[in-house]
Amino acid sequence: MTRYRIADDVAWVSQEDLDVDEVPTAYLTRVPGGPPILLEGSGCVVWLALAEGGTLEEVTATAASMSDSTVEDISADVAVLVDQLVAIRVVEEH
Amino acid sequence: MSLPGGWHDERMTGEVERTAPIAARVHLAHAVVQKLADDRGIDLLHLKGPAVLPGLRPEGRHSSDVDVLVRPSHLSRLVEALESIGWEQRTDFTTGSVFAHAANWWHDDWGWVDVHVSWPGVTLDPEQAFDVLGREGQVRAIAHRDCPVPGLIAQRLILVLHSARSGGAVDVDLAWQQAPTADQDAVRRLAGELGAEVALAAGIGELELHRGAPTYALWHHFLHGGSRWDEWRARLAAAQGARAKAHLLTSAMRVNRDHLRMELGRPPTPQEVRSRQLLRVRRAATELAERVRRP
Repeated sequence: MTRYRIADDVAWVSQEDLDVDEVPTAYLTRVPGGPPILLEGSGCVVWLALAEGGTLEEVTATAASMSDSTVEDISADVAVLVDQLVAIRVVEEH
Repeated sequence: MSLPGGWHDERMTGEVERTAPIAARVHLAHAVVQKLADDRGIDLLHLKGPAVLPGLRPEGRHSSDVDVLVRPSHLSRLVEALESIGWEQRTDFTTGSVFAHAANWWHDDWGWVDVHVSWPGVTLDPEQAFDVLGREGQVRAIAHRDCPVPGLIAQRLILVLHSARSGGAVDVDLAWQQAPTADQDAVRRLAGELGAEVALAAGIGELELHRGAPTYALWHHFLHGGSRWDEWRARLAAAQGARAKAHLLTSAMRVNRDHLRMELGRPPTPQEVRSRQLLRVRRAATELAERVRRP
């Protein structure tokens, strides 16, 4: 079963680290030479779920619990986003 | 990057715009600099901002730039590393500050990084001072990356010295006033080891105990202000040795091209440098004339 995790060369910070109470937002980059990337709203929720690692089903379940959504409602969107994050190599499959 | 309609919102992913919060950029920039250092075996200590240990910084206060202290003998490698990914040097060590202790670089994505080879107020040889400041260092996660930072006592001292240099007391309350007596004693011992007693005294309200010290006038100037003439006189008194004094006098009347470039937002033309030089000489002459007239 494929598991997902944040890539080893990624630095990231979320609005929680910054002590600001705004829309859930994560800022990330591949160090040292990557561009800055923004994940806002539900994208940030998926990112925080990915920070805990797991299979796509586990990541989706974590994201659902963080956002008061159902797994059924969000699973397709989460799958698309995770694919995109893998494609830009900020998330690794293992 | 965008996704089809559904649970996600419209701005789910994308490249950070230039208006991204400075605090986010600073966190990520610390991590970028540390990765550069890790890859090249460069010894660094992250200072201020997110590198400050919990309890030493007021909640919600953020830095606008990255401050790192590099082992002086590793400086050239760090400069090469920074510039390899697009940082551009904007000031050099002679024009960056009174103490010639730091220079800064700009990156369009990551903003400013101030590279220090020593810390204002520390008079011990910079290479030895780096070892002392890092001796009880810790690792602190910044942007989820391990970054070495000074230990608690060294951080208290660094914040107090910075506060004294800035002419304020912003960090002194948490770093010194609220510190346990044992920590204050340890800070004094560390300051002694680093030759930073006068600077520490300036930061904690004890400068008058050091009236005879060569650097007294300089720290008095930082705390209480004064004219440029006063500053240069204080710097001259603090400069150790004939060569240092001669170098200081030579540079005293020279226009700081780095600062002029930042002020103009572009490299100054030779004519602009000459014009500013004239202004500088006039200003110095005016200050001197006012002092002569003063009763």
